Amino acid sequence: MRGWRIILILLALSAMPSTAALAVAPQVIVCIQCHAAQPGRLSKPVTLWQTSIHSDHGIACNACHGGDPMNAANSMSPASGFLGVPPPTSIPALCGGCHMGVTKHYMNSAHGIALGRGGPTCVTCHGSHAIVSASLALIDKKNCSSCHTFDKALMIRKAMVKTDRMLKAIEKRITVLKSQGIETDPLEMKLFSLRNRFHAMFHSLDVTLIRQESAHIQAEIEKTNGAGGVGTGHLVGVLAIGWALLAALLFSLIKKNID
Amino acid sequence: MEFLRSIYNWIDVRLGTHEIITEKRTGYLLPRNVNAWYSLGSVLLVIFALQVITGLLLMLYYVPDIDKAFDSVSFIMTEIPLGRLVRLFHAVGSSMMLLVLLLHMVSILFMGSYKSPRELHWLTGFILLLLAMGISLTGYLLPWNQLSFWATTVATDCVSSIPFFGESIVEMLRGGKQVGSHTIGRFYTLHVGMLPAVIAVLIGLHLFLIQRTGVSTPPFGLEDSRNQWKGKTFEYEEHPGGVPFFPNFFLQDMISISLYLACFMLFVFFFPDMFIPSISYVPANPLVTPSNIKPEWYFLANYQTLKLFPSEIIGLTVQAAAMAFLAFLPFIDRDPEKHPLKRPLFTVSAIGGILLWIGMTLWGLYS
Repeated sequence: MRGWRIILILLALSAMPSTAALAVAPQVIVCIQCHAAQPGRLSKPVTLWQTSIHSDHGIACNACHGGDPMNAANSMSPASGFLGVPPPTSIPALCGGCHMGVTKHYMNSAHGIALGRGGPTCVTCHGSHAIVSASLALIDKKNCSSCHTFDKALMIRKAMVKTDRMLKAIEKRITVLKSQGIETDPLEMKLFSLRNRFHAMFHSLDVTLIRQESAHIQAEIEKTNGAGGVGTGHLVGVLAIGWALLAALLFSLIKKNID
Repeated sequence: MEFLRSIYNWIDVRLGTHEIITEKRTGYLLPRNVNAWYSLGSVLLVIFALQVITGLLLMLYYVPDIDKAFDSVSFIMTEIPLGRLVRLFHAVGSSMMLLVLLLHMVSILFMGSYKSPRELHWLTGFILLLLAMGISLTGYLLPWNQLSFWATTVATDCVSSIPFFGESIVEMLRGGKQVGSHTIGRFYTLHVGMLPAVIAVLIGLHLFLIQRTGVSTPPFGLEDSRNQWKGKTFEYEEHPGGVPFFPNFFLQDMISISLYLACFMLFVFFFPDMFIPSISYVPANPLVTPSNIKPEWYFLANYQTLKLFPSEIIGLTVQAAAMAFLAFLPFIDRDPEKHPLKRPLFTVSAIGGILLWIGMTLWGLYS
């Protein structure tokens, strides 16, 4: 009976996060409330967005489409800044509002120069609603070959593999350190900064620059090796245990002598 | 050397320290067949002292506030030199204290040392066990992480099973319906103020009782292992020709303390996850219940027993009866025989009881 009561209390409490989260999470905004209830293509952006990196970070519809997400009556009013579907040529500037470093490299690249003349924009590779974060997986033959040959893209990808692997290794190390209660904030900030620099630089499509910058980033990553670790913890432990056992042996010998 | 001797003489003529050392320590004789189990009391004193020292050091940086507690513990663990070690010493030390306390009580049980005239020794020891469990429970909540929050919620919820007053006691403990800001304040006050003071007083009383009655004779290696106490008048149990406390048994104490420290540091340096699992590094979130949350290991048997019975009152009554039986054992068991092999019914029951407790603890852990 009591067990059931605890279970019921725990179930009730476990149900609360979703309710509480609604109060602050983007799901509460009128765009989602209205579109999610619509049939067919009108609700599809919501479903896709829920799988995106933007959704993970609480970046909702109004961040790109504008409007007032808290006011149902004026949510899509131009007066409240509603943009609707942004024209392709304005997409890099729109995304660049947050991803500043990337835009600079992109605009100077072959992709950016071809903007408005069939060149790819951010959403061509990263998606428009089911937005995926930058990764080597995006540089694949199927995506790139739809516009040009894959040769140069493959060169860029190869130049990035080692750095990408090193960044993933830091991520893993941070997870391990966190599970040991070790402060990882400085290391996480460093990773954030290096990863951003790495991803931004890729958008230049300049193989020489990518190789040079990759070498710099790798050198920076090397510097973080050992950061945040407990270092000599086990060695100190062995020494402490050794001293305690040695003391026990010493006291035992003295006692034997006295007895 | 001469300088030190003159200082010693200066103190001696004023305080009679020489008398204390010769008569009270070297002249303080223990039974000839005294064994290593007798040194567990000294080990417990060292553990308590370590808990006080590490606790005081943690208090320098710990903030008992639900918005700051977790961060202050993280700060201690990561920013303060040796902070991680001090925290591990304190956290691992609390579990070790209970483990050694249980071993101490088991050794007293099997050697019949609780028998007359030492009923009060046992009773104060038993109360110390309950207080040690209380101080561990109150300390467990303080880091304000997911494990401590939910384990405390489950553990304090068990009290609600007490008929009529259960809910009120839980509210008094928590300072509200749920574990929250008032709970951390109350637990902190109990943990760093009230409970250590009461424990220190009871340890003093426990040692005073031992000093007044003398140390009990172990039943091993004797032809007549029955309790020799007559019960007519107060009688100090002398051990003529026995082992001097200083230096002989003091060295045994030092051996046991050193061995304990070796085991303790093995856990601190190599298996801290057993006491501070990874979920302890996630801040408490009253809205997210982790799966399969359990109270600390020393409450698992009680937790499982409560789950076992169909009625809360029956489960609680059974536990209360078992605890009362254990607390008043010296008044119930009047058999003068102390040797465990010469009182088979007691020995079989005691082993059965210990195995049952271990079994319930494991069941609670894996259920």
